[in-house]
Amino acid sequence: MSSMSLRPQRLRVTNLLRERTALLLVLILVTSVVMSVISPYFLVLDNLLTMTQFGAVIGLLALGQTLVLLGGGGGIDISVGATLSLCGVLMGLVVGEGVNVWAAAGLALAAGLLLGALNGFAVTVVGIPALIATLGTLYLFGSAAQVLAGGTQVGGFDQAGFSFLGTGTVAGIPAQVLFVLLPAYALAAWVMRRSLFGRRVYEVGNNGQASRLVGSSPARTRFVLYCVSGLLAGLGAVVTNSWLLVARPGAGEGFELQSITIAVLGGTYIFGGRGRVSGTLLAVLLIVILGSGLQLAGVDPSWQGGVLGVVLVLAVVLNNAFLRGRGERR
Amino acid sequence: MGEREGRSWGGLGPVRQLVVPALLALELLVFASLSDSFLTGPNLANVILNSVDLALIAGGLTLVIILGGIDVSTGPALGVVAWVVGTSTVAGTPAALTVVLAIALGALLGLVNGAIVSLLNVTAIIATLGTAAMFQTALFGLWGGTDLFAPPVSRYAATDRLLGVPTVAFLVLVVYAVLWYVTRYRAFGRHVYAVGNDTEAARLSGVAVRRVSLAAYVLVGALVGLAAVVYMARVGVVQATSGTNLTLAAIAAVVVGGTSITGGRGSVVGTLFGVLFIAVLQNGVVLTGVPPLWNGVLVGMFILVAVGIDVVSERLSARKAATR
Repeated sequence: MSSMSLRPQRLRVTNLLRERTALLLVLILVTSVVMSVISPYFLVLDNLLTMTQFGAVIGLLALGQTLVLLGGGGGIDISVGATLSLCGVLMGLVVGEGVNVWAAAGLALAAGLLLGALNGFAVTVVGIPALIATLGTLYLFGSAAQVLAGGTQVGGFDQAGFSFLGTGTVAGIPAQVLFVLLPAYALAAWVMRRSLFGRRVYEVGNNGQASRLVGSSPARTRFVLYCVSGLLAGLGAVVTNSWLLVARPGAGEGFELQSITIAVLGGTYIFGGRGRVSGTLLAVLLIVILGSGLQLAGVDPSWQGGVLGVVLVLAVVLNNAFLRGRGERR
Repeated sequence: MGEREGRSWGGLGPVRQLVVPALLALELLVFASLSDSFLTGPNLANVILNSVDLALIAGGLTLVIILGGIDVSTGPALGVVAWVVGTSTVAGTPAALTVVLAIALGALLGLVNGAIVSLLNVTAIIATLGTAAMFQTALFGLWGGTDLFAPPVSRYAATDRLLGVPTVAFLVLVVYAVLWYVTRYRAFGRHVYAVGNDTEAARLSGVAVRRVSLAAYVLVGALVGLAAVVYMARVGVVQATSGTNLTLAAIAAVVVGGTSITGGRGSVVGTLFGVLFIAVLQNGVVLTGVPPLWNGVLVGMFILVAVGIDVVSERLSARKAATR
């Protein structure tokens, strides 16, 4: 792959992305049709809207994962779920001390940022490969959440209208989608497409060496991406807490697989430099429809993990097939 | 690379190969001074008994990581095999047959991983994340809401002692001796290092990259199968999430043992130290009265410290070489 010349590759990538968007839309359509045949409740507007709330938290984590993957250099954040758990527990403990719930939410965001910075430091400054660094912090954050919570859940969020964020709706749209998920994606999409930073991320992801020659530091750019991923996990913790009204020390377990699956399904290249925020959002939608449809069809939620695993592998095989197909046609 | 390996016990830099034994010695000292019951025969036997399944998985995983791959499906795979082992034992199947069945099934699951990675060209982390979810779901389906209790396949897999040492410890020694011999002296082992160092160069010099990679994943699978037998004899019950904890512990043991996650460098001897380190940590933490919840915090910290030392010392020696 490294031996390909630059120009045709760029052409190919735009095609791939275009096809990925179309592919995801087709898949979403097909899944929706199948699900509405299986269950008459599926196409009811209420259900469609309620369903989206299951995508809010995982959507935030998948967004962070997408950004870290885009930055290349073997970047990956396996600790997103554990970061969410730890931020949530910290928030719960602070609220337990009598702090205002919104102030505590701000603290959870700060904690997420800090934990992300810790990942970024380990990867970009110390130089530990991201897979291992974030594996280490997965242990660290996940267990710290358990230790701090004493192995049980921490409660007491039911104040100052906080639960509205997690359970309220505006015109039928869940508040967490309207006020958190969509703004986060809109902002990320804008930054990645229009801002200098966004362009730098793609540069760094495509070729860290070359971007260093141009004068931007790959390490600094990637450091910021880990911080953003941590921040989004903190945001995910706030949303989770306002939904459940308790902080569970295991709240984020398993999210690492889901976030990576969604990012890759959305067309993000695991080695960086290619992919789009909008693709990830479509992938979130697809996963949510699939999950909700399976649930309506009476399939036990535990089986969804296996379906997700199959989807993940198929998504990458598909990516490869696209790349190879274009290569042969040339 | 060849030169460096000649000087050490398996492809590690001179500083790096001392880090884990030193940490292990320090750990033994600390726990021995904090707890009277730590350095006793029964307790040390316990440490060994509890780490045999981890050791078997980590040994095979070392080869996959040296190769530049990764396998995050080992825990769920072990769970699936453990269920089959339990069911087979309860059904009264002869022990030897159950063991063969376990190894074969494990190898089959490894083959699935290997096929996805090397034939379909899916990145190892993605492929095995996917199969981990599939195996996990398969176990959930097999488990079906009822915990499965089963006696040990054979007393040799459980509490039996030989010369005062748990018999299964010798199984680990034999497996590691074979792995060590294969990685150092057999063509397959050398090919594993070659692929991990530079896949393209290995391919050009005639290494059958796909076959080597496939074989490595099958090998991990077979060892996971064997580990499942020991696991079942130790734990005696299969639940929906059985084995899940072992995935990360095995990776931790390999990287704490000095094998480079980017491939091409490492050894099974280091992994054995890594396994001991983690096993002693888990045991000592409990004995000294620290709540077991702290386990993960410590393991996470030691992964970061051990690999951090590795990376920094590597960079320093590279800088020294450059200025010379």
